[in-house]
Formats: sequence, C-alpha cells, structure tokens
Amino acid sequence: MRALLPTITGAVFLAAVAYAAGQAGPTERQKIDNAAATRGRAVYAQSCINCHGSNVKGGESGPDLIRSAVVLRDRLGNEIGPAMKKLANHPKDLTPEQVVDLSHFLHQRIETTSSNRNATPPNASILTGNVQAGKAYFNGAGKCSTCHSPTGDLAAYGTGKTAITIQQNFLFPRVARGGKQLEVTVTSAAGKAIRGALVRIDDFKVSLRDDAGQTQMFERAANVKVEVHDPLAAHHELLDQYTDADMHNIVAYLESLK
Amino acid sequence: MKTLATIIGILLLAAVLVGQTSVDWPTYNGDYSGRHFSPLTKINSTNVNNLKLAWTWRANPGSGPAGGGGTTSATIKGTPLEINGILYTTIPDHVWAVDARTGKELWHFSWESKGGWHIGNRGAAVLGSTLYVETPDCNLIALNIADGKERWHTEICDLEQFYYGSVAPTIVKNHVIVGVSGDDLDIPGYVEAHDPETGKLQWRWYTHPNPGDPEAKTWPSVEAMMHGGGMTWGPSTYDPELNLYYFGTGNPQPVIAGRGRQGDNLYTESIIALNPDTGKLAWYFQASPHDTHDWDAIEIPILFDGEVNGQPRKLLAQASRNGWFFVLDRTNGKNILSTEFVKTNWTKGVDAKGQPIPDPKKEPQFDGALVSPNQGGAINWPPPSFSPNTGLFYVNATRAFSVYYLYDTEDKPEGWGGNDRGGWSEGMLEAIDYKTGKVKWLHKWPGSGGIRSGLLSTAGNLLFAGDNSSNLIAFDPKDGSILWHTELRASMSNTPITYELDGVQYLIVGAGDTLYTFTMPAK
Repeated sequence: MRALLPTITGAVFLAAVAYAAGQAGPTERQKIDNAAATRGRAVYAQSCINCHGSNVKGGESGPDLIRSAVVLRDRLGNEIGPAMKKLANHPKDLTPEQVVDLSHFLHQRIETTSSNRNATPPNASILTGNVQAGKAYFNGAGKCSTCHSPTGDLAAYGTGKTAITIQQNFLFPRVARGGKQLEVTVTSAAGKAIRGALVRIDDFKVSLRDDAGQTQMFERAANVKVEVHDPLAAHHELLDQYTDADMHNIVAYLESLK
Repeated sequence: MKTLATIIGILLLAAVLVGQTSVDWPTYNGDYSGRHFSPLTKINSTNVNNLKLAWTWRANPGSGPAGGGGTTSATIKGTPLEINGILYTTIPDHVWAVDARTGKELWHFSWESKGGWHIGNRGAAVLGSTLYVETPDCNLIALNIADGKERWHTEICDLEQFYYGSVAPTIVKNHVIVGVSGDDLDIPGYVEAHDPETGKLQWRWYTHPNPGDPEAKTWPSVEAMMHGGGMTWGPSTYDPELNLYYFGTGNPQPVIAGRGRQGDNLYTESIIALNPDTGKLAWYFQASPHDTHDWDAIEIPILFDGEVNGQPRKLLAQASRNGWFFVLDRTNGKNILSTEFVKTNWTKGVDAKGQPIPDPKKEPQFDGALVSPNQGGAINWPPPSFSPNTGLFYVNATRAFSVYYLYDTEDKPEGWGGNDRGGWSEGMLEAIDYKTGKVKWLHKWPGSGGIRSGLLSTAGNLLFAGDNSSNLIAFDPKDGSILWHTELRASMSNTPITYELDGVQYLIVGAGDTLYTFTMPAK
C-alpha cells in the first residue's frame, strides 16, 4: 500500500499537509496585476533566482515554484510571505508590497504554463523542408499538379500566409479553408437523378441544395441510390502516404510561391 | 462500526452485481464487468420496430453560475442509475432522482461550486440508502437517496493544483472508490477509497511508482515522476472472485513535450489492477509507453470469461484511445492479444509484453509530425460494449489525423508544451472478435469521425447506438444491419441503459439536457 501522505519532496509534503488540514480552495485564482508582476520579476531576480532558477522551474538548491503547492495556494502573498519567513536561507527583508509583487509574478508564470497549449509556432519552426524536394513531390509522387498549378490557382500562394497555415491547408483542406462543397447525387427508384451540394446525410435521410438554391430532402431506402462526391478525396488519401519529410518539403515549396 | 443498513446494502449490491441477473441498472456500467450488456429480452430484434417513446424528462439546473467562471452546461454525459424504480442522473454540481416508470422528478440536489472544470459528470454510485457523486470543485458528496439531502462531503483533490472531479465513484464492499481529473499543470494522478458511512479516507494509490521501485526507473528523476500526471477519470470494473479492481490511467505530464520525462513513464496510460481493500498494486499493463499525444488509457477495462486456444480464460479487454485493442489475462495482466482496431501510424510494432513501441519520429516536433489518431483518439470516454451472446466487442471508433507541434523550447517543459492542430477523420461502429482482434463487421458512419455515443448490447439481440444526426439506432449485433431507429431532438450525449419494472422493459438515453425513455406499447 502506498503511503497516504508521501514525504518524498517538499512540495508534495506541503500539499499533503494542506490536504490533511482540509483547507478549501478559494473560489477564484488570483487575478494578475501585470505591472505588479513586472516589479515582482525584479524582486525574483534579486532574491530568488539563484536557487529557483531563471525560469522559476527550480535548480539544484531550490524547488520548482510553478509546480509548488504553496505558490498555487497563495493569494497575494498570504502563503509565500510566511513560508519565506519560516524557511532558512530565504529573504527576510522583503516589504509586504514586494511579497505581493512576487506573488503576481509567480502566478503569472503559473498561468502562462498552465495555458501553454495555446501557443502559435513561428514560421522559422515550421519551415524546415527543402523547396526543390517539395516541388518534385508536388509534380511527382504527390500528383498535386494533377489539380493544382503554381502559375494558376496557386500563383503567389505563399504571400501573406503563415507557414503553419500553409501546412494545415494542404493537409486538411476542408477544416482549414471552410472548403469546397461535398456534392451528392440521389437517384430515385424511378431512375431520376438529382445532384446538389450536400447539406446533411445520415443512414436514414439525405438533403441537398439544388442548382436553384432549394433544399431537398430524401428518405434513404434500398432502392434509392446515394453517391457522395468528395472533391478533396485525393487530399485525404495522401494522409496515408506523406512522410513527415514530404510534408515539410511541400510547406517549403508552397511558401516559396510568391 | 457499520450500520445494519450499510451492511445490508453491501450484501444486496454484491448479490446484484456478482450474479449479473439484475433487472436494475445499479452502477455506471450496469454491473461490475463493464460490458454495458443487459440480459433483458422483452425488447428484442423481433419486436424492436414497435418501440415507442414513453416519456421524456428535462434537466433544469437553474441559471446559476457553475463556478470557476463558467456556466452550467446541462448536457447529460453520465450514465443514469436505476435502482428499485428510481433513476439517479447527474450533470456537474447537480443530481436528480426521477421516477423510473413515469419520469416524475422526485428531488434535485444542487451543489454550490467553488470552481473546477465543468466538462461533464459521468454519474453517481449508490450503496444502501446513500448516493455518492464527485463535483468539479474536488468534493465527494454523500446524499440520502430518499430525499437528496446531503449526509456529508469530503475533499478528494486540491482545486488549487488544477485537479477536478468528474468520474462516477465505484462501490466495492465498504469502499467508495474515486478517481481524479486535471492535466493543466504537472500533478500526479491517484485513486482513493473512502468509508461509505463517514467519508474518511481509507487508502490512496498514486499512479506513479514509489521512489526506489524498479518501475521508478521509467522516469528520469523523482521530481519528474511525482509531477507525471496519470489521471484516473475513467470508469472502473471489479472481479469479486479475484478481488481485483481495474481501471485505466490518463496521459503523462507534461502532456505533449516529453523531453523532460524520458522513459516509459509508469504507471501512466496503463491498465491497472489493485486490491480494493488495501490499494495495493496487483499488476499493470501499459497501453502507451512514454506517450506524447494525450492518449489517456482510461477506457473501460471490460471483464468477461472466454476461450483462448481452446482454454477457458478470465479475460480483460480494452479498446484504447491510441487505436489499439488489448486482451489480457485479468488474473495477472499478461497480454494475450494486441492489435490495431483502426489503422494508426505511431508505432514500431509491439514489444515482448504486447505493449506498442512508440516511434520517436511521431512524437510532436517543432515543425510538426503528422500523426494518426489525433488527440481526440480512436475512442474517447463513451463506453464500448461486449456481448457474451455474440462474443463481439463493440466500439464506436474514429480514424483521424492531425499534426502534433512542440511549442516549449526549454530544457524542462511543463504543462502541455505543445498541441495538435487540424484534422481529418472518419467514424465507424466496429464489432471486434476478441479471439482474433479481427473486425467482424463495420458500419461506416456517414460524415466525419469524433466522439459519438456510448453503446449498449442486450440479450434481446440488439445493439443500441447514437449517430451525430440525433438518431437512436438499434443494430443487429451479429451483422451490423440496422433494425430500428428514431430521431431525438439532439445527438445522444451519454450511453443507453435498460431496466425492467413490473414486467416492462425500459430503454433510456440522454441527449443534451433530456432523458428519452422508450417502452413497448401496452397490448
């Protein structure tokens, strides 16, 4: 059986103590005052950085403060202030205002870290492919040139687009661009065929928008033929064929079309 | 000292769950096996065409804020319980008791939230006269099932560390076993057991090894291990004969940027067997060693007895979010079968233990890696179903691609440190032969993939599922042909259940904020 209150690291120990004490968390996280956080960064640089590291993620002589249960529970210095007073080798001469500033800085780091899934990669990160290899794939194995042309629909395609947008557009054209329409042909039992833009389809009904802009709905049955035409099918089939190198090379080639 | 009522409750529950002859639906999974299979036959493949809507009931949580800055989304994702003619159904912070015959609301419990992520509540558990439910703000609440009044509540996780509660508790003997959720920051997962009478903590098992254990070597440091994630937000199962409690664990932390946690990262994304009396680990099987794609292995570890190479075996099967289907010997966790149930592109085969070997090239990259499945996975939380009558494992599967990016350039990434983007997907209902891993039949859903409803199979030769166009559909579980359907006012958002009262079989599904109940018309 695992120990109920692990005493392995300081942070976990403190979390366990807090848990045992049954403290309920406040209703909201600390609202960060950016100006105070900037001042707090200076306090950190002067008094904390040597042990807790330049990125607040800890070092050989001090724990990570982003993952610290004490800091996570802190509101405007009410936890970190007393903790610094109590712990050896911590600054004792910070003013109450400096402790509040430090709190804002640490919570700013926590907020940035806990939401860091939402970043956008810079062009330089994405543009690792080879333009010539991308061009060769475009005209060769990828058969992209069957439908697309760098002097036609893709003229100046790379202008004004981020690299990640280009990458997402050719891999997943419907998702990224709102896309071309799926079309459907419904052939009734009597043999009458109607083609239009697919509005909705399931196992029982299919509806389409016809050339006149009218939406028509059909019940599906064994004697009603439904054919969906996906103009982007070739893109989907390529997903099983691209190597990551192919993908990067195509991005480089498309980005170069300016 | 337990009260007599609790002891009787435990005995009744044990009788109901072990025998699996119940006409009730007393737990999230219907029984301890996790099969989402009902032995009821009054609704069956010969008469399902006559099934009619009997009544609906709509969840009205009121207009109060949900806490944590959000508003309450009245989407029923949980599987209701049906016990002695009363349904118990949940959304985050809310529990209702509803007459299972008529749909009349009997009581409504509302919890004043302090926050936490209100993504969904998977359901409740009942022992004797007490109902147990988790809240987003990290509380386990015990309610009197007679009137919905609170008996006690206790904190099960730390909201400040970005934990939250969502999973349905499981009752095993005198243990109320709960799991926890949350992966914004780097925190360890655990399951813990509480006393049903007092709420007192009985044991806690963290989803990482103890420092010094051989498995601790699957982490580069104690610090990485103690902040390594592995949340326990999926349903659990239990084998009373073996006295083993089974569940899956979630993704390691940091989620996408795995540079700072080289190694297999046990016990994240693993199928776990614990002794429910002590919380001691019996065995583990890792579905995704060193995952960097958020592929929680929390899908139900379904228990059934079967035959492998002519020998009777006690089995456990999981269709995992990473696209792999595993069959294990549930007495010891030894692998019997590992196979993809959708085509994926992230492995280099399986190792001697039957565990997929991740291809390092398909880890997230700064310039992107094209990966299948996507982050949503080949399956997500909606329950699959296993029918002992057909020997088939039914799963709503998705084949999807997305590009995984690394964002965090630091030596020690934290949080997520990356994400996936975009995607193309297709969805299909599959029937997998557990003996071979082969797909016996497949129904391709029109339209794209993604999360679809949970599944229910019955001895009436029926398999119920929801599509993304608000249809509730009954399939023939033997061949996948469609036998019946009806259109709801929203797509099914939970998993169908069925129960029998006074000789009448009821079928209930949740779609959005409404429960829809179907019965055969009286003759």
